[in-house]
Amino acid sequence: MLGILRRIWGDGASGQVARKRMQFVLMHDRIDITPDVMEAVKNDIIQVLSRYMEIEGGSVKVDLEQGKDFMALISNVQVKRVFRNSKNSD
Amino acid sequence: MAGRIVVVTSGKGGVGKTTTVANLGTTLAKKKYNVVLIDTDIGLRNLDVVMGLENRIVYNLVDIIEGNCRKEQAMIRDRKLSNLCMIPAAQTREKNSITEEQMKALCVELSSEFDYVIIDCPAGIEQGFKNAIAGADTAVVVTTPEVSAIRDADRVIGLLEAALVKKINLIINRLNARMVKKGDMMSTEDIIALLSVPLLGVVPESEDVVVSTNRGVPLVHDRSSKAGAAFRSMAARLNGESIPLDGDSQGLFGRMKRFIWN
Ligand SMILES: Nc1ncnc2c1ncn2[C@@H]1O[C@H](COP(=O)(O)OP(=O)(O)OP(=O)(O)O)[C@@H](O)[C@H]1O
Ligand SMILES: [Mg+2]
Repeated sequence: MLGILRRIWGDGASGQVARKRMQFVLMHDRIDITPDVMEAVKNDIIQVLSRYMEIEGGSVKVDLEQGKDFMALISNVQVKRVFRNSKNSD
Repeated sequence: MAGRIVVVTSGKGGVGKTTTVANLGTTLAKKKYNVVLIDTDIGLRNLDVVMGLENRIVYNLVDIIEGNCRKEQAMIRDRKLSNLCMIPAAQTREKNSITEEQMKALCVELSSEFDYVIIDCPAGIEQGFKNAIAGADTAVVVTTPEVSAIRDADRVIGLLEAALVKKINLIINRLNARMVKKGDMMSTEDIIALLSVPLLGVVPESEDVVVSTNRGVPLVHDRSSKAGAAFRSMAARLNGESIPLDGDSQGLFGRMKRFIWN
């Protein structure tokens, strides 16, 4: 049964799934960034970017990712249009 | 020279702290060191039954601290090893009936008479935990290869670092080599990479642990048990002896060499 689930999800063995999940969980626990703070970071990013371009607000994602020996904040933003005079829009 | 004060802790309950205290303590005593074990799990004492000393208890840790008895009166001598003794926890008292300062003072006093003071910490990170780690210079963090135990271990390691405990080592208990091989359990390497704490050793999942607890005779007395051998190696490493990790339950340590105990 587990084998079938595994094939459907293509997740690999559960040990590796656990390892990846733990990397994520521990990083969050350690830096102690609450979901509230992540939400605030996201809103600030949207605000700053909006000065230069029109973005799809609902599409913005902000995630912390653990690299081999670094931690990265990765944000994915869908851009609709870049303002022509974006440099002066401040 | 003052003896070492070692706390065995985990965060999560039921991962093997008491088993570890009994077996490390017994091994060190077999090596002729003077060893005292302290059960600080007030209200849920268990070290006494694991050591098979439950029917000799008169006084306890809280009695020593409150001055109801001399500390020698509360120390119960092991049945086989005369240089090993245990101070039981109080069973009917509150966790906060002792303070960190009192615990620290007791540990320091004991470390002038014993080579090893080994403390069995309660689960959790509340007052009982704070008391247990108060006097310790070394912490042994026990985890199992499961997500919740590892997460709690990480939390505890953070608290130990914040409390400036000098040496922090890890024990991975209940490793199931068959499941690791199948890929259905995090490996020793995975866990060390997550927690980045030096590894003291790995104990396999073993029925012997249950049998020895049933009998009240620590597993390290059993020369034929693999889990017992794992505990003996860990005690030796804790004692500064260099024993390669490959000898334990798992063969392939390869890339992990840089974490090898020193
Ligand atoms: N390597 C092992 N293989 C099989 N069973 C084990 C192993 N280690 C511990 N156990 C079992 O797990 C149970 C919990 O062990 P133990 O009492 O040492 O944990 P603990 O961390 O002290 O628990 P608590 O947090 O309640 O104090 C016991 O029943 C014990 O026999
Ligand atoms: Mg216990």
